Amino acid sequence: MSIAPLTEDQRDALQEVLNIAMGQAGNSLARILDAFVELSVPRIRFVEVSMVTSTIEEFVPCSGEVTAVRQAFFDDLRGEALIIFDQNGCQDIADLMGYDDHLDVQAQQELLLDVSNVLVGAILNGVTNTLGTHLSYSAPSIMAERTLLNQIITPENVPWTHSALLEVNYSLKDRDFRSHLLLFMAEEAIEALRKAVDDFVESF
Amino acid sequence: MDSHAATTPLLNFIVDRVNIGIFVINKEMDIILWNHFMETYSGTSAEEALGQNLFKQFPELPSAWLKRKINSVFILKNFAFTSWEQRPYLFKFPHNRPVTGGVDSMRQNCTFLPVIDEKNNEEYVCVTLLDVTDTSIYQNRLEETKQQLAEASNRDGLTGIHNRRYLEDSILKEFARATRYKEALSFIILDIDHFKHVNDDLGHLAGDEVLRRVAEILSATVRDTDILARYGGEEFGIVCPSTRLEGAMMLAERVRTSIATTLILYDEKPVPITISLGVAQFNNDIDSYEKLINQADTALYQSKEKGRNCATYYIKDD
Repeated sequence: MSIAPLTEDQRDALQEVLNIAMGQAGNSLARILDAFVELSVPRIRFVEVSMVTSTIEEFVPCSGEVTAVRQAFFDDLRGEALIIFDQNGCQDIADLMGYDDHLDVQAQQELLLDVSNVLVGAILNGVTNTLGTHLSYSAPSIMAERTLLNQIITPENVPWTHSALLEVNYSLKDRDFRSHLLLFMAEEAIEALRKAVDDFVESF
Repeated sequence: MDSHAATTPLLNFIVDRVNIGIFVINKEMDIILWNHFMETYSGTSAEEALGQNLFKQFPELPSAWLKRKINSVFILKNFAFTSWEQRPYLFKFPHNRPVTGGVDSMRQNCTFLPVIDEKNNEEYVCVTLLDVTDTSIYQNRLEETKQQLAEASNRDGLTGIHNRRYLEDSILKEFARATRYKEALSFIILDIDHFKHVNDDLGHLAGDEVLRRVAEILSATVRDTDILARYGGEEFGIVCPSTRLEGAMMLAERVRTSIATTLILYDEKPVPITISLGVAQFNNDIDSYEKLINQADTALYQSKEKGRNCATYYIKDD
């Protein structure tokens, strides 16, 4: 099926929604982590499946191996979030999340899942608050560990041809931590996003 | 009829009796709902739990981590989760499989749900606790089976020692390590002398028995750090990590002597068995593990030339 991308006005509105959401997210994250979180300006793209790997590589400038967590969200908006961590900096946030000094494999995985859940929730709740929509979430799970960035998604196994892709990256001030959040909303979910943005614009 | 009024007792009944742990806490971490599942497994009744501080009532809970988790739900008004795969349980509860379990306590997946009571302007966190002990047991069995399969695919069916595939994997790994850390590495290849005669004169069953006995003697003679495998036919290989040529030659000589001096019987009759060995040491000229095997092979050939039942090490012929 063919999906029209958002119009320029819709894109501008979505960008604005994301900017507001980022402000709220940064604020909430700072309260949870007791640390200043630097958030990038969100980027919005419409990608075809053939472009997905190169777009991820463009958004996530990381040459080494990465670990990636996925989490689904559904209700008024629907899609899947990918959180990509480079291998540094995980230990660095362990104490921020209330973990003991020494992390075994399970504790490291749980930390990544906890942090991912918080990062996804912070942004998407900012979005839903602004748009006046509701969301539910599935439990996050680890989709790739110590894998090259261009191998975390296998385009042949992706069941969509077009998707909206939103990217934000986070870093912690004075700490060696950085991660990237990619939100995919594919096919019909783009229409739901379009409708939510239109309703938001009309509410003014 | 007011459907709301009619369904409320139903909902209360279901929340209490559903086979899922459900409890609710307020911002002070006081328990304000504690369902039947929680009562049954914790041994703490709703009467005892309600109004109590969660961490005072259950001091065994991982408080630093859990407080952060619950706070993140209050602050973000967001879901949070725990999975048994990373954290086996939140509360240490008994499970319902005392006979068929194999795990010590109930495995739990938990969801932390933000609850907002708009009428009273109060916020809560509802925690649901799902018993996933069954899933975890099947998952563990699957992992065990996968490990057994991996192990089986590395074993030689006849002798039970490692097979050629495993040997090549090991030598590749050890080769990479020796190259990176400039460590010593030696390789021994050995071959049963006149094995064809055993098969021709006594039959293949005798040949199989000899191979099994040789494998046993070799296993008992090599050091713990050596990697022994059946290389193919009547050939065996020994990877010797952190071992120089002199050490490898000593091991080769010890192995040769054990085989030559151990009585091997077939059908209650002794079968005289000797072996020939070739030894090679990794050095900077060797740029692939195949080359190391080839050099040991060349030395083995020289042992055969010299009249068998001996060990020879590789010398560069230039």
